[in-house]
Amino acid sequence: MVRRDEAFEMKTMDQPGETTHFGFRDVPVGDKQTLVNDVFHSVARRYDLMNDLMSGGMHRVWKDVMINALNPPRSDAPFALLDVAGGTGDISFRAAKASGLGFSATVCDINTGMLDVGRERAITHHLEHQVSFVEGNAEELPFADKSYDAYTIAFGIRNVPRIDRALAEAYRVLKPGSRFLCLEFSTVDVPGLDKIYDLFSFKVIPPLGKAVTGDSESYQYLVESIRKFPKPPIFADMIREAGFSRVKYELLSGGIVALHSGWRL
Amino acid sequence: MTTPPIERAESTVDAKLLEILVCPLTKGQLEFDAARQELISRQAKLAYPIRDGIPIMLPEEARKID
Repeated sequence: MVRRDEAFEMKTMDQPGETTHFGFRDVPVGDKQTLVNDVFHSVARRYDLMNDLMSGGMHRVWKDVMINALNPPRSDAPFALLDVAGGTGDISFRAAKASGLGFSATVCDINTGMLDVGRERAITHHLEHQVSFVEGNAEELPFADKSYDAYTIAFGIRNVPRIDRALAEAYRVLKPGSRFLCLEFSTVDVPGLDKIYDLFSFKVIPPLGKAVTGDSESYQYLVESIRKFPKPPIFADMIREAGFSRVKYELLSGGIVALHSGWRL
Repeated sequence: MTTPPIERAESTVDAKLLEILVCPLTKGQLEFDAARQELISRQAKLAYPIRDGIPIMLPEEARKID
């Protein structure tokens, strides 16, 4: 399943040094962000539709599990959410609907295409006064220390080249007593389901991506990057190393997805 | 009768957001230049653009200043 890209291999040889995964390929850390940006620019408009098709609507259920865990106040008590890699606004809008008048969210995404879609949707949902959009890098957040009551990242941390830096930044911007929540693809361990999942991932998703967004490579990247992401216990250790307490995770849908959480105390 | 200037709500940055935005490199305070729609980090010598009300807080997208 490993695709070979000769130009890439040459570049990798030219620049020995820190590398990271881009799907099944090893690429220089500096290149991963550019490659990931291209993926999301290419699919921004049909991103949420593709999520529905790929997951059979299950991504809605997973996101709702995260919003339930977030449990934002229904009163008008102030509550500031930072939603990283949340470009199209999906998580922030769901959280806003579950919240009282004190709720506000900042969507921070590195991708202009995704943010443009999000802002248009905020206006459509009449949430433009509660949800703000910022273009920024998860590894270098442009927010002051201890600014937020919660940090969410849904299906985004996998795309960050240096996950440890993103976790350290999450810790920095959270207020003491606030929560980190991360939804990410995991590893299917249920016998039988794992085979079906692999078959679906590699044989169905890239052609489906091509049919819907005109781009199969982006979806090839998606299924490869899921396999490369650290297993839940390892990722939980990384969250602990960033300083978070009471770190735990919950597997959803037979382990297709995991909800990770921790507290900044 | 004078008419108040039209509020360009869609192209201005939320005031609460301006309070918590910092330079991603130095984590230092930013100066808001409303006329140019830029956020200036004196320490980093960078001016971050605001496009359609969205602050672009990426050093590689920022304008270098003296």
